[in-house]
Amino acid sequence: MHFVTGGAYNGKAKWVRNYYSEKAPVQWISAYQDEALPFDFDEDFVVLQGVEMWLRNDIQEQTAEAIRIKWQEIIKRWRIWEEEKKTRCCIIIGADITKGIVPIEACNRTWRDASGWFFQDIAAASSRVDIIWYGIAQQVK
Amino acid sequence: MAKAALYFITGGVRSGKSRFAEQTAQEWAIEQHATLHYLACGRVFDAEMAERVNRHQEDREKSPIPWKTWEFPTDIERIVDGINQDSVVLLDCLTTLVDNELFTQQKPLEAEFLEETFIKIMNGIEEIQRHAACLIIVSNEVIQEPIFHNEFLHTYAKMLGLLHQAIVERADAAYMVEWGIPVMKKGGTPI
Repeated sequence: MHFVTGGAYNGKAKWVRNYYSEKAPVQWISAYQDEALPFDFDEDFVVLQGVEMWLRNDIQEQTAEAIRIKWQEIIKRWRIWEEEKKTRCCIIIGADITKGIVPIEACNRTWRDASGWFFQDIAAASSRVDIIWYGIAQQVK
Repeated sequence: MAKAALYFITGGVRSGKSRFAEQTAQEWAIEQHATLHYLACGRVFDAEMAERVNRHQEDREKSPIPWKTWEFPTDIERIVDGINQDSVVLLDCLTTLVDNELFTQQKPLEAEFLEETFIKIMNGIEEIQRHAACLIIVSNEVIQEPIFHNEFLHTYAKMLGLLHQAIVERADAAYMVEWGIPVMKKGGTPI
């Protein structure tokens, strides 16, 4: 698993597209395009873009702790899918929303907390982690 | 005609980014026997802003090489009449320029206007680069918080993020200043 993060509009997707340009075909699934999150993928290389938006669907009804547990299970399923075949790689792009002022609305605080944990769990499960700053990658794992 | 060297310096509020930018400009000017030009994009409309401006002015007055100050809240390329191939230009700061370009015309923030503004700012930067030895651009770190539910913040963050990406791509060196410490993100040798 390869986790790519950084602030919004820092060029994360562009960097991933460039980095994996040789690895075609890549299946690209974007939460920003309102695409549903599948668990079985067609290609060996899968990009899941905007994972924080999928997580956001849960913030109205669940606590940050419950959301974390739910998404830990999802991360496990991605890992299992990857391990079924050696060539498979799951590339996860998430916008960092954890470094601003505490949001006024409770659900946005939940979202922020849950996404912090979610990103920690993705990073732990990933063999490589990059933070993108205006198009420049810093590999931190 | 050779293009000016381009430096991009960003950081949080009161991170010391302006001071680092000024030092960088001065060192460049001393080494290259260049003149120093301060391109101020801010408009002073309250006491707090005046305090910030004064603080930076006092810093610049201590400089061994005098600074010439230009105030262009919009249309930054107007500075080219006053500079030449021996000039170091410090643009402070990109976020205020974006504010001024976006909000002084009272136009709705529609896609076409945003695109125009993006091109206008990038053209301004390029025009200055064509007429100077070195251009240093100071900007603010874009917010990293839940912005997606707020249309206005979203548009603003996107504009600034895209500009930062485009400038970093063209820059010879890019720094993020953290608590007074410049962290080099791009570039060969530290200044």
